[in-house]
Amino acid sequence: MSLMALSLTLVFVAVAVGISMWQRLGMERDIFIGTVRSAVQLLTVGFVLHYIFQSDKPFIVLLILSVMITVATLNAAKRGKGIRGIGLRIGIAITITEFVTIGLLLALRVIPFTSQYIIPISGMTIGNAMVVSSLFLNGMSREAESSAAEVETLLALGATPRQAMHGWLRRSVRASMIPTIDGMKTVGLVQLPGMMTGMIIAGASPLDAVRYQILIMFAFASSAALTSIMLSLMSYRLWFGEKGMLRRSAQK
Amino acid sequence: MESMLQFNQITRTLPGNPARPLFSGLSGEARLSDTISFTGPSGTGKSTLLRILALLESPDEGRLILNGRPAREWDARQWRMKLSYVSQQPFMLSGTVEDNLRAASALHRTPFDRELASRLMASLGMAETDWRKNAQRLSGGEKQRVSLVRTLLLRPEMLLLDEITASLDDTSTEAVERLLRSFHEAEGTGFIWITHDLEQAGRVAGRSWVLAEGRITEGEYACP
Repeated sequence: MSLMALSLTLVFVAVAVGISMWQRLGMERDIFIGTVRSAVQLLTVGFVLHYIFQSDKPFIVLLILSVMITVATLNAAKRGKGIRGIGLRIGIAITITEFVTIGLLLALRVIPFTSQYIIPISGMTIGNAMVVSSLFLNGMSREAESSAAEVETLLALGATPRQAMHGWLRRSVRASMIPTIDGMKTVGLVQLPGMMTGMIIAGASPLDAVRYQILIMFAFASSAALTSIMLSLMSYRLWFGEKGMLRRSAQK
Repeated sequence: MESMLQFNQITRTLPGNPARPLFSGLSGEARLSDTISFTGPSGTGKSTLLRILALLESPDEGRLILNGRPAREWDARQWRMKLSYVSQQPFMLSGTVEDNLRAASALHRTPFDRELASRLMASLGMAETDWRKNAQRLSGGEKQRVSLVRTLLLRPEMLLLDEITASLDDTSTEAVERLLRSFHEAEGTGFIWITHDLEQAGRVAGRSWVLAEGRITEGEYACP
């Protein structure tokens, strides 16, 4: 696509701004910021990836992965505000998920050991793990009030914190995995995923694109399960204070 | 030696308002076999104190002691199995009535005493209740009674009861009172029972605690 053609896509932004002004949605500023940020971020990433793929140094790949994991962790941790120590646990869960997923793909020789494969697939895996972490924490806080009664009922019957949290954790883990699993069920019927669409537009055969998309969907399923389960097991104690009492902040 | 609960100088502030204590410096003691009515005006912190005694909330200051050992040396589970709290708003665990009745034995991997459970349910007027029914579908009063039976099946030494007959009709209330008195006589199970019904307090309890103006006043009933 020529630079001229790319510039013309701004017409879509104009449509959004026009609708916002016409309907007085007051979103012009956000649309403007979103437009500038997405353009700058993506163009920068394009240049960075271009450089990395050419140099193909493991050290740089690791550096890029660390940046991705850090940004994903900080973003997901916003959902767990007020829960001390949640950020570290999200970081560990996302890191393990990333290394298990990419490690398996490399060990089984599904993808070659080059940055051209590792970085995009890592980006998608880490991004998915970030969304799953946010959804898990959302589920935990959304259910806090009703679940506090359940947890205390079980504690009063002599349950351990782990036993008392079982239902609450289970519901939050399920809620965090549902979008990924639903995505697997409807992919290709409802939406054509961005990666596959991109490959097809860039000239790859649809069959090739589909193969990689299947790889991604399967990797997502395992990474969603891994992230959510690890995060729930590592973090459930954070909702308890001394003597296995539910923290007052969890009972708001 | 009889099990003994003591609490010394318990202070608790309201969340978000550390300057104004809900109560401060409350002290008292009870044998776990004591039957105690706990009365006083609303909002004085009776429920909060009961939840503190159940290790479900922590005091801001003060010490809890059971059998001479401070709470911090206790495994919280063991403590809660001796002193078990029954809430004013009963929460039914997911599943059937039977799943709820089996909760304590499922948690502790102990055999389920079906015969005792049937007897307790019958004594609370729930002999006809279908145990396969979804527990969420029970009425408020039924949930309250199932929740009491569920806790009694844990065989605690003392029950911490938070207005558990507030949503019951007279017949069910009398049944609960009879059951708890007979449980006390047969097993020595005591209770601290928050109630606003002073007649009920006199009917069921041997001792009386009144929490008012930040102090607990002790009394005894003539015929427990």
